[in-house]
Amino acid sequence: MPAASTPLPLLDHRLLVVSGKGGAGKTTLTATLALWAARGGRRVMVVEMGPKTQVPNLLNPGHAEVGYEGAEILPGLHVMRADPFAALAEYLEIRIGMRPVVERLLEFEGFRQLMQAAPGWRELITLGKVWHLEQMREAGAPRYDLLLVDAPATGHGVRFLDVPRVVASALRSGPLRANSLRVEALIADPARTLLLPVALAEELPVRETVELVERARDGLSIHVDRLVLNAVEPAPFPTERNDLDERLASLPGDLQVQGLPPMATLSACARHLRRRHELNQHYATKLSHATGLPTIQLPYLAGGVRGPESLEKLLEPLAEVAE
Amino acid sequence: MSGRTIAERLFSGRLIVCVGCGGVGKTTVAAALGIEAARAGRRTLVLTIDPARRLADALGVELSGEAREIPLPALERSSGSLSALMLDMKRTFDGLVERFAENAEIRERIFANSIYQHVSDALAGSAEYSAMERVYQVAESGDYDLIVVDTPPAQHALDFLEAPQRLIDFLDSRWVGLLIHPAFSASRLGFRLFQRGAQRILRLLEGVTGLAFLEDLSEFLLAFEGMAAGFRERATEVRALLLGPESRFVLVTGPEPESVRHAQEFFDRLEGFEVPLEGLIANRVRQWPEGSAFAVASEPSRAELEQVFTERGESRDAAAASARATLEMLASYARRVARDTDSLDVLRPRAAALGCFLREIPELDTDVHDLEGLTRIGRHVLGPASPTHKAGAAS
Repeated sequence: MPAASTPLPLLDHRLLVVSGKGGAGKTTLTATLALWAARGGRRVMVVEMGPKTQVPNLLNPGHAEVGYEGAEILPGLHVMRADPFAALAEYLEIRIGMRPVVERLLEFEGFRQLMQAAPGWRELITLGKVWHLEQMREAGAPRYDLLLVDAPATGHGVRFLDVPRVVASALRSGPLRANSLRVEALIADPARTLLLPVALAEELPVRETVELVERARDGLSIHVDRLVLNAVEPAPFPTERNDLDERLASLPGDLQVQGLPPMATLSACARHLRRRHELNQHYATKLSHATGLPTIQLPYLAGGVRGPESLEKLLEPLAEVAE
Repeated sequence: MSGRTIAERLFSGRLIVCVGCGGVGKTTVAAALGIEAARAGRRTLVLTIDPARRLADALGVELSGEAREIPLPALERSSGSLSALMLDMKRTFDGLVERFAENAEIRERIFANSIYQHVSDALAGSAEYSAMERVYQVAESGDYDLIVVDTPPAQHALDFLEAPQRLIDFLDSRWVGLLIHPAFSASRLGFRLFQRGAQRILRLLEGVTGLAFLEDLSEFLLAFEGMAAGFRERATEVRALLLGPESRFVLVTGPEPESVRHAQEFFDRLEGFEVPLEGLIANRVRQWPEGSAFAVASEPSRAELEQVFTERGESRDAAAASARATLEMLASYARRVARDTDSLDVLRPRAAALGCFLREIPELDTDVHDLEGLTRIGRHVLGPASPTHKAGAAS
């Protein structure tokens, strides 16, 4: 289902749902997008769903974790943790209006036990909060220009987006059904919402991303029109020496130069880097062929992602290709 | 215990449970261990959750919900054998409903219930519960000496142990009781029978959710009520098997920060469990081909290297480019090795404190896609204490 019109620039959406496996760089990408948007003067809210927030520390090292109430980490850049129980309390208070009743309910051991085990409501209440944030107005304009959701790492992050629809179809009536339909409408609106899958160029992440995109197209209502491929390995040798491994292999294996391992080791290292690079390229190609979607490639950072300087390195290629 | 080889430590039990977060190669390690156990003469079953196509291909069979024997070359003269099965979660869970439902009517009501249909696969703990159930079934069958279990991908490795208990707690909870009983009287009047607090809360939920949902939920739970005892009993038995003296846990991890963080959390949470953790396997670790580190080169090395290339017939400029490219390549290789070494140094003392082995599998040049590749993985896990990686052993 290729989009008929030109894809909307990344930061012109109201809601970006960043989705991918643990370790694919979802949180890093979320933080980088937030930084980019805030620098362009947008008011940004990052919604984290894990048990602990990570974005504040990435953007502003040493910054404390943030709770449900949220905090402004950098000018115009807010982060909050979507704690389902806090969201539930807020929701019930809006609906029922009696804070003491809500508090007693939430403190009730049996209720907590029931909610711990009950499926679906966490996703629903969290997305409900996202919808609420999208609706918030200040002096007639949206309170936040861009909402960035760092989707849960378990499963495909797809089930999470599916919940409002499932609930709406399971309920015959009632306010919960109406709420679910409103959330569903936001998720399904391509002018506001985009699913941004982030993958690594490796076998399982590629397979799961292909499945994610297929699900998004066939079952889910959320729009997806581009992918992010993270930690793309740079070519291991300069262009004019792209046969370096072979050149090294042609030297006597036991030959050793002062301060260096023997040639056999050097050529093994070079061959390893070349093959890993080729494998990486293979999966990158596979991903774009299987999905037919344009891919934004971000480079592998040899030193790992450590603090804002790393994000700066990602910001440049991201801003360059993504506009 | 240190006198025993890793093969002895792992293969002496009846169960090897591979835990770890998703994407670290848990399934591959489980398959590789299965192959080595079969070669060591054990009748072995590998129970996988969601194997990559490539892995099924590597084993040379189409995996299904039923155990299939995998032909291993050079196994004819051994008493060992290798079988594999893939967990079909939905089917296992349906099977549980069939077994424990009191009668056909209740069974049909569960299958027809909209909540069961919508959420049975999302029901908290059902994947883990199904996996445990299947492990128990094959262990009971007596067909195998050793079962290697690949656990479902989870945010935390120990969810595998905790989730079934949560499911049972849920089925057992007073709240479920409260929800069930209105359905007994099949009318909203049933609510009146409750103590006032519960009644108020239910009313409140009714207002927020719409009653229809509660009716479905209570019907679903009512149907499950008769099964809770069976579920609970079975879960207790499975847990005893998994945590018993015949069980060996292996934590599979990777050197990426994310995996290391998970492994640390795993160790943190171990304190509350009597988990028989035997070892830690770090997969895809970037190492020097010869296993020893090298200082990254200096100016004299560059000049000398340039000389080597010149002697091989390269022009002065070409040789300079080759030497420069070689040193850059080496520096980039060294950064990768340093990063992974640093990562694993964090886990080393924690494994040692628990008397666990820590084995590293080097990052290979290619993905594992045949028996030979799996064998190589297995050898890295079981191999001698200080493995020698031939140049390109990673090749």
